[in-house]
Amino acid sequence: MNSLPARTRGASRRDVLKGTGLAAAFVLVPGLATSCAKSKSESGSGSLKFWDMPWAVESYNTASEALVEAYKPASGLPAAKLQRIQWNNFSTTFASALASKTGPAVSSGAGFQAFQFAEQGYIAMADNLISDWEKDGFLNDFITGTVDALKTSEGYVGVPWQSDVRTWWYRKSLFDDAGATIPTTWDELMTAGELLKEKGYFGFGNGAGAGNNIGAQSLVMMMINNGGGLFDPDGELDLLNERNVETIDFVLELVKAGISDPAAVSYTTDNHLGQWKNKKFAFGIHTPALDDNIADSSGDLLIASPLAGPHGDKATLAYVNNIMMYTNTPSQEGSEAFVDYYIRGMKTYWQTSVISALPVLQSIVDMPEFQKSGNKVKAVKEYLPIAKTYAARSSEVFPAIAQVDGSQPLAQFTQTVLGGQTDAKSALTTLQQGLSAIVTS
Amino acid sequence: MLVMPSIVLLLLIHLFPLFKAFLDSLHTGSLIDSGEFVGFQNYIDNLTSPTFWKAARFTLVFTLVGVFGSWAVGLALALLLRTRIPGGGLIKVLLLLPWVVPIVVSSTAINWLVATSSSPIPVLFEKVGLGQPLFLADPTWAAIVVCVFKVWVSFPFMMMMSSAALSGVDQGVYEAARMDGATSMQQLRWVTLPMIARSTYISWILMTIFCVNDFPTIFLLTGGGPIDATNSLVVLAYRTVFQNQQVGPGVSIAFMMTVVLVVLSTVLYRQIRRAAH
Repeated sequence: MNSLPARTRGASRRDVLKGTGLAAAFVLVPGLATSCAKSKSESGSGSLKFWDMPWAVESYNTASEALVEAYKPASGLPAAKLQRIQWNNFSTTFASALASKTGPAVSSGAGFQAFQFAEQGYIAMADNLISDWEKDGFLNDFITGTVDALKTSEGYVGVPWQSDVRTWWYRKSLFDDAGATIPTTWDELMTAGELLKEKGYFGFGNGAGAGNNIGAQSLVMMMINNGGGLFDPDGELDLLNERNVETIDFVLELVKAGISDPAAVSYTTDNHLGQWKNKKFAFGIHTPALDDNIADSSGDLLIASPLAGPHGDKATLAYVNNIMMYTNTPSQEGSEAFVDYYIRGMKTYWQTSVISALPVLQSIVDMPEFQKSGNKVKAVKEYLPIAKTYAARSSEVFPAIAQVDGSQPLAQFTQTVLGGQTDAKSALTTLQQGLSAIVTS
Repeated sequence: MLVMPSIVLLLLIHLFPLFKAFLDSLHTGSLIDSGEFVGFQNYIDNLTSPTFWKAARFTLVFTLVGVFGSWAVGLALALLLRTRIPGGGLIKVLLLLPWVVPIVVSSTAINWLVATSSSPIPVLFEKVGLGQPLFLADPTWAAIVVCVFKVWVSFPFMMMMSSAALSGVDQGVYEAARMDGATSMQQLRWVTLPMIARSTYISWILMTIFCVNDFPTIFLLTGGGPIDATNSLVVLAYRTVFQNQQVGPGVSIAFMMTVVLVVLSTVLYRQIRRAAH
């Protein structure tokens, strides 16, 4: 068994013991592990970590790498180094990195994550940067409402770099086939839906299956559209307000009338897009990138003007995606300098069409390259001015909106409503109870 | 003494995350902050929650169908494949495919087959006058589809286990049984099943663990919906931690599952020892 010479057996028993003991000591003695990590971290302190998500197609990644690489910091300020973070379990990735002080100095990320991290003290407020932009006039380039969407009682948790709103879409050929007119109010939606149904099309295209949040966002959008929302003006959960009940009653009417696809509760993102692509959905709510998502440039798939609710209100749900800065940075001045550079230089994404999201700078909207994308221009022109976050009825945004977005109670509520086996008050009561259990502030 | 460092290291690797997770289950925190210590309140909250019990019921149904459904199909095919059939080798390989193909691929295929009104199976149902069942949108149908899917992806494993066990059964025993006038069913009941009992119990233990801990089969197909109809405990734990950002309650669900699995495995392990004697 032991016929091989010790040297050729890879490691002697003593070597194994040494290695094992060292590894055990490393894990057992937190100080040792920390000091090793610290020295490693300090060795890389010359650069500023920028974590960016894969926002669109592969070409976006290349473009963002080029933008970051082209950054030439002023003397004494750190250079920036880009690291791509995947969306899968990104909350855990960020949370664990921030807790262990190995996180980024600057990042993009989910629309509401900055609010949560700010509450934990990880976010460096962007007030200085915004103040500087106000002085040099650059702040005026931001589309109205986009900067304020990031304002909390403690300051600005980030700066906007792109926006995502929920818009009404329609397929013109299906309306022509059914002899229906494009609705401009909820009542007209019901009328058009009935006509579309006779031809086998759905006038309230939706989806709320595994991983598909469009359905939940659609219902919240309609509540906001009707002057309601999940929270009251003080930021407390308020699901059972009159406007919400009216909204859900209306959606239930659409469902019971067969205007909504009965299988929508199980539609994944792909199923949902498939129904648009296969010309089964004639009207419905989606992101401004629906035509890009199904590669439809026929001109048949168009964004409709915002619908007026029963009381004449017009509003939509918005996500103002932002660049946030963190307190764990080699230089706050360096973070601000990099963000300033990045925001001023990001027009390249829209010039080269590597991103589907809406711009937040008017100068980008005005570019000829962007003006070519008719649907998105319409979204910017007609939807951004009426866009609101989950905190629709409040003048300030609060961390709770991050807890409700994509949550299980909201998903279950959507499936219940789109399934049609409920009444508005029962569904909203269950949602109120479910969200109360997860909203901590 | 010489193995002590290795044991210490192994204990650290296995026990430290468990210990940390247990501590998390006693707190009300999010992914960002561990929050306040609340003792066993998360466990009590779960045990008094209708959602938890609904998920527990579905887990039980899913596991029973998954274990015994796949075992029945797997054993039947293993018995069939012992007979000489043309192209037997190729059939064996083809039968392994559901187990071999990544679950992402097979769940996408099932979704394509049943999800929308234009999918092949709903269209087929309509053509033969059976209406258009909402296979993934109706709670009862969704539960049936998920369970059948689990049987489909699992039977090759049971088939392999049964084939291996059957190959060890002495043919002389069957000859003796036949000489005593035993029918095929009697041979199966009184010869085959007792002779492969040990292997059967092992496969049941393994498949029980696979089913209870099965996240992708359910999550990729239905996400636990519609309206929690296919929400198993492991999916509920995931959704609680990562969608609701409630780490303590979510981890406590996982701990309770672990305890149940350990108890169940111990009971079945005793059966194995009995079968061995």
